[in-house]
Order: sequence, then C-alpha cells, then structure tokens
Amino acid sequence: MIRCEHLKVTFNAGQATEKRALRGVNLTIPQGEFVTVIGSNGAGKSTLLNTIAGDIRSSAGRLYFDDRDVTALSAPARTRDVARVFQDPLAGTCGNMTIEENMALAYGRGNRGGLTLALNEHLRKLFREQLSRLNLGLEDRLDAKMGLLSGGQRQSVSLLMSALQPSKILLLDEHTAALDPKTAALVMDITDQIVAEKKLTVLMVTHSMRQALDHGTRTIMMHEGQVAFDLAGEERSRYGVKDLLNLFAQIRPDGEELDNDKLLLGS
Amino acid sequence: MSLFSFLGTLEIGFIFGLVAVGVYLTFRVLDFPDLTVDGSFTMGAALCAALIIAGFNPYLATICAALGGAVAGVVTAWLNLRFNILHLLASILTMTALYTINLRIMGKPNLALISEQTVLTPFEALGIPNMYMTLIFVAVVVIAIGLLIAWFLNTQYGLAMRATGANPRMAQANGIVIKEKIFAGLALSNGLVALAGALFAQTNGFADSTMGIGTIVVGLAAVIVGESLFNSRSMLVIVFSCILGSLLYRLAVSAALNADFLGFTTSDLNLITAVLVGLALILPQFRREWKARKAAQGGAA
Repeated sequence: MIRCEHLKVTFNAGQATEKRALRGVNLTIPQGEFVTVIGSNGAGKSTLLNTIAGDIRSSAGRLYFDDRDVTALSAPARTRDVARVFQDPLAGTCGNMTIEENMALAYGRGNRGGLTLALNEHLRKLFREQLSRLNLGLEDRLDAKMGLLSGGQRQSVSLLMSALQPSKILLLDEHTAALDPKTAALVMDITDQIVAEKKLTVLMVTHSMRQALDHGTRTIMMHEGQVAFDLAGEERSRYGVKDLLNLFAQIRPDGEELDNDKLLLGS
Repeated sequence: MSLFSFLGTLEIGFIFGLVAVGVYLTFRVLDFPDLTVDGSFTMGAALCAALIIAGFNPYLATICAALGGAVAGVVTAWLNLRFNILHLLASILTMTALYTINLRIMGKPNLALISEQTVLTPFEALGIPNMYMTLIFVAVVVIAIGLLIAWFLNTQYGLAMRATGANPRMAQANGIVIKEKIFAGLALSNGLVALAGALFAQTNGFADSTMGIGTIVVGLAAVIVGESLFNSRSMLVIVFSCILGSLLYRLAVSAALNADFLGFTTSDLNLITAVLVGLALILPQFRREWKARKAAQGGAA
C-alpha cells in the first residue's frame, strides 16, 4: 500500500525558475491496485513516480509504504519495496553487459553486496524460464550483450527484471511510449500478466487515454501538481476516451487547448 | 635486444599490468577518469621503500604501500562525491598533493634499496639466477591478482560496480548505492597501482619522487592495446588483455629504443609513448572506417 500525505516537490526553490512540480498530493493506493496516471506535460506525473521511488526528495509531506514512513529513505533503500521500468529502453538496462548479467543485477535488488559469484546454473535456468515467456527467442541468447537487442526487447527484459525479486510496488513511467504499437501491446500484455501473478501495487504513467482505461483498476489525472480527478470501479468502467477528454476540458476552464491531443488519443 | 633487457622488459610489463588493471577499473568499469595513479604509483614505491629502510618486514611494507594507495583513491572519490569537484580535477588535486606527501614520506627525493631486504629475499636461496627469479615472482603475483580481480568483477559486488559505471540510474533503481561503489572502486584501483609501485621499487632497487610521472598514460596505453586485440564479454579475458597489453606496450617501446637505425635514446621515451598510444587509438578507427567502406562497396555491387 502507498499513502502520500500533502506531498510537495519544488524545483529551484527561491529562484526565478522555481517550479512547483507537486503541490500537496494526497493519494492512498491499497495493496494490489493498478493505477494508471494521465495528465498533460508538466502536470507532475513523472515527478510523482520519481518521488515515490526516492529519486526526488519531497520538500514537504510524508510518504508511507504499508504504514511505514519512508519519506527519509534513499532510492536504493526503497528498492526493497519498489521496482521500476523507465520510459527509455536504454535507461533500464546496461547495454555493455550481457542479458544474464543484467538479470543477475536485478535479481540482487534489495539484498546486495555479496562476494559470491553473481551467476550460477540455478540462476541461468531461472532466467531462461523467465525469458521464454516473452517468446522472443532471448532464452537462447543469455550471454548476448544487452546493447544488441532492440528497444522493445530491452523493455520486455526490463519488465521481467523488475519482477525477479519480490517487491510490492511497480512503477511504470510511460514504459511503452518509445515502442512501436505492436511491441507496445506485447509489453502491456506481459505487464498485465506479471502484475496479476505477483499481486503488485502499480502506478503506470501513460500518455494514451486508451491504455489508461483498458489497463488497471483505477485512473487518476494529474494537473498542475495535484490529483485533478480519480476514477475507479463502476464509474470508471462506463468511461470512454471522449468522457476523459471532456473531464479534461472541465479541469481547464480557461478553455486552454490540449497541447498534445495526438498523444492523448494515440493508440 | 639482449636476453637480460628482454627479461627486464617483461618484468616491467607485468608490473605495469597491475597499473593497467587499476586504470581499467576506473576508466572503463566506473567511467571515472582518475589521474591519481601518477601519485599513487610513487606513493606505493615511497611508502614501501621508507618502511623497509625503517626495518619493517618487506611483505608488511608492501601491504602498507597498497593500503596507502587505496587511501589516496578514497580522497579523490571523496573530493568528487562530497564536493562535486569534476573527477579529472579531483584526481589532479590528489596527485599534486601526493607529490609533496611522497617527498615527506621519503625525506629526500630518492631512496636506494640495493642492500635492503625485499619481498624477493626469501626466494634468493632457491638458487635460480636473479633475473629469472624476479620475473617469475612478478609474473606469479600479477597473474594471481589478475585472476582475483576477474573473479571479483563477476561477483554480485563487482557486477554492481560495473553497473554503477555503465548506467548509474539503472544501478540505483536496482538498489545499488553508487557512491559506495565509486569509493570502493577508486580504493581498489589505486591500491593496485600503489602495489605496482611497491613491486617496482623492490625489483629495481630504488624509489624516486618523479618515478610516477606518466603512469596514467602507460596504464591507459596498455588498456587500449589490450582492447584492440580482444573484444570479449568475459571479465577474465578483459583483465588479462590489460596485462597482455602492458607487456606488448613495453616490448614495443623497448624495440623502438633498441632499434639503432631509429637513433632513439631513453629521453625520447615520452614521444614514443605518445605516438604508440596515438596509434593504438587511431588504428581501430581506421579499421572501422575501412570495414564500413568495404561494406558500402559490397552493397553497391
């Protein structure tokens, strides 16, 4: 479970370029809920994810995982609970290391530092099993360099890596945005499988309204550093992309045009 | 080249193999260009020589020398991580400070170890001629350390260190505390370089305050020569290609100096080094361009 209480993040505080990225976010996500996060550029979606992961320190407010106050914990210390997949396929893996080495790194998440060999036959078997789920033929290329894989393949492996260690929270930051539609669909399939299998609490940022409604159990929209609306259950199931866009227009009463309609409507 | 100078070249090649492995750890594994090594090589030699002359056991003195180098590496890492000083600049600061510290350690610009006990003394009783014995000793030590480092880079800790240099964001997302890995990596790297300095002082019988100048270039040259020979994913191959690179580099320099028709003298060493390193950097690029041109021609035909 994740609980944000009045979470605030301000960049360049006190300077001309001051940016209040989060302006008091209150959000409670129960165990096992899959939340999709939408909003226009600069609304604070990624900042919210990065703050939960610990990459960004909040300037005010508190953050709890399972009633444990984690506000002061560093990003590496939070990885015991949090796994992530980034938007950039290159960001989630090391290109100059092999597939099995990358997976061994992820396998060590949360209990690191030993002077035992990072790889052994038992682990290789586990990695091969996991990779065979992707149907990309990667299970026979354990010792290939990650850099030789396509973006979609790397993102799929990143996703598997995030699930190698038991974690409670999975943060997905537009993890299909850089992929072609077919690969994106495949990656979303694997995402749904893993989430269901591991009963994870998920926050998924997406630019696609369609994706936001088709996946997960709850949708929130961020606007100007706050949660503008929060849809779940029966009400959410009646919503279509058009309804979401209407809601969006209501939030921006000044009639400001969406600057990224295409992205919002895309696939 | 006489047999004697050939063996001497190999011996120095092995010793600088340790420097090459150290430089590989910072430049390639951690992506942290560290010039501290110019100071820590001398520091290893100075500490070791000073301690031996003060009556310490040579093995203990050698270990202390390696630890001293590790401390120098930690100082550089600290300047960079704590105060955000650019890594190159931080290492130059440490290197500059070490010059004075090394003079203080020795008390004068150079120390002779000719009549002192060294790590080699216990083996002198074996009756093997000195020039072979020194080479065998150095080769065994360097190969053993090479195996250890290759093993280390394949452990969970080593893998985490490699990820720290390759993709810090990914490393952090996987629970790796990257600062700690940089501290450890710089300590290990400079410890190896100082150990090389200590071995050099003992096998050559002296420590000198200026002996470390250019260590970084020699180490880097060895790494680059090794890399251009082997392209492997195996840590064992990579570490040993650093050591082999160092040997080949020494042989190339020695051949250049010994070729009478070229007329080089030892004072030309730095130019030869620069040209050799330059060639090692340029040739792989030529090879790529040549391959690309050939591929383009093949495609057109």
